[in-house]
Amino acid sequence: MAQQANHALPPGFQIDEYRIERQLSMGGFSIVYLATDAQGAKVAIKEYLPNTLALRTEGKTAPVISEDHLPAFRYGMKCFFEEGRTLAGLSHPNVIRVLNFFRANDTVYMVMEYEQGRTLQELIQKNSPSITENFLRNVFTRMLNGLREVHAHRLLHLDLKPSNIYMRNNHAPVLIDFGAARQTLACDTPMLKPMYTPGFASPEHYRQRDLLGPWSDIYSVGASMYACISGCTPLPADTRLENDRLEPAMVRWEGKYSDQLLETIDWCMCLNHRYRPQSVFALQKALTEVVATTPPLPPSPPKVTWLNQVVGKLKKSKN
Amino acid sequence: MKFTVYHESRIGRRVNNEDRLGYCYSREALLMVVADGMGGHYYGEIAAQIAVQTLTAAFQREAQPKLSDPFMFLQKGFVNAHRAILDFAATHELADSPRTTCVGCLVQNNVAYWAHSGDSRLYMLRKGKVLARTKDHSRVQALVDQGVISEHQMPGHADRNKIYGCLGGQQSPEITYSRKMTMEAGDVLMLCTDGLWSGVAGDMLANAVKNTPLTRAIPSLMDSAESKGGPHADNLSALGVRWEDSYVDASSMISTKSMDRYSVTTKIQEFGRGQGQKTELSDEEIESAIEEIRATIQKYAP
Repeated sequence: MAQQANHALPPGFQIDEYRIERQLSMGGFSIVYLATDAQGAKVAIKEYLPNTLALRTEGKTAPVISEDHLPAFRYGMKCFFEEGRTLAGLSHPNVIRVLNFFRANDTVYMVMEYEQGRTLQELIQKNSPSITENFLRNVFTRMLNGLREVHAHRLLHLDLKPSNIYMRNNHAPVLIDFGAARQTLACDTPMLKPMYTPGFASPEHYRQRDLLGPWSDIYSVGASMYACISGCTPLPADTRLENDRLEPAMVRWEGKYSDQLLETIDWCMCLNHRYRPQSVFALQKALTEVVATTPPLPPSPPKVTWLNQVVGKLKKSKN
Repeated sequence: MKFTVYHESRIGRRVNNEDRLGYCYSREALLMVVADGMGGHYYGEIAAQIAVQTLTAAFQREAQPKLSDPFMFLQKGFVNAHRAILDFAATHELADSPRTTCVGCLVQNNVAYWAHSGDSRLYMLRKGKVLARTKDHSRVQALVDQGVISEHQMPGHADRNKIYGCLGGQQSPEITYSRKMTMEAGDVLMLCTDGLWSGVAGDMLANAVKNTPLTRAIPSLMDSAESKGGPHADNLSALGVRWEDSYVDASSMISTKSMDRYSVTTKIQEFGRGQGQKTELSDEEIESAIEEIRATIQKYAP
């Protein structure tokens, strides 16, 4: 079936206790609206509406779901509930908060807090050349507080990328869009394709989904930092697995950022999941490490110590 | 030949779904079968599966593209299914033969023919009214016929499970045939098991499908029958077809004009607890998931 665009609910539409103001975004699985609640406060409402399975034509409220698509539609709804459950149980300043959940128009809706701001993606597209080391360390360390909370609940985000990191106007980052999040132990039924974004998804996303773990989100964090500096999406992991033409951050931006930060990015983006930081905490530690702000010095000659002298003598005697 | 078809089978609150349904069509003929494996007898679901498979297999062989004698076809199909069930019992050395009710309907040249054994029903619905329905081979139906109880007292009656017509079992099956029924555009033929009809009266069925597409009407009928069934709700299944209706959207309309003269399209539920059922999310499950999320939101609200 050809994919057709779904029509968003019109501004002024009243749904449950909310009034739609305008559409914020439209994705393959949902539409997000800006709305006001009964008290006049602004909220974001996410409407479950996978455009391959349910189609809303202009002027209609309920989507048309054909009999063939109903099981898949309902299965997707299960995943949407998963997202709701995930977020409802998390209360953290760096994770988007769910305010309500309801059913209407033959589908389901999730109401979330709304705050002025923009995504990190929008931010870097505007300011790409001027992303500073401080900014990167700051934003990502704080965002990782949220991710740590997610992992502490035995959940994985699985779709981390700059467009899923929302920057409030006070520069506090918030993790949004947990559409791909899954309980690590819940098994996946391959009815809907797993969601991920090429360039930010780890190699495990593509090949060995049973290996997914905190290190998979960490790959995405590394790729997001890489994208912040380069201004564009890094080479997808599946392409890298065949032929790794990704220029390491350490090579690409040497001297522009501290070696320690660039090394940390490369560390996160290791193709082998075991070589990456194994926990958010380990990564945060690396990001908060105090380093000299001056560009690194050329490597100094090996220090002449007592031990080196002994080793040197031994080497000589061997030759 | 133009029609829309919708089918759904639910487990209710039972451990097993022993209902089976299937339909198949050629360029000029349509066959629908619903069978309800009898609980209390072992392998009821297998008996039901055999009934559906026997009839659909016969259709695949003989509908080229029409059947020469529809009633003969139904009779042979039912009797062969009965024998196949007995064969199964013999091969597996079962002490008792599994049993199943069965209702089958054939439509060709805009004429419907049906036959049934037991208490799975067929309703022919036109313009919000029940035009015809099968009479169950059951004790309660006999009581209604004798005027002892009214039709509305049937669903909850204590003797509800006493059925004397079925495929499988020692006696040769009691099979009742319909008259030839001519179809009009908009007519609905609904085959269902007792799990559905005991929860929804015939005129409710007729009303529900009057102006609503089957894809929406049947699930909501199932919902209300299931909730009426309460904590012990029986398996419930329905297979409905609307004959050449202009109301439904064209994407789900099946046109057989382009079909090859000798090809047959068949759709039967998979045997056992199919993968489809596992991922299905009932309305109740949706409600309870929402309740759960709301409770969690409340719990963590600052």
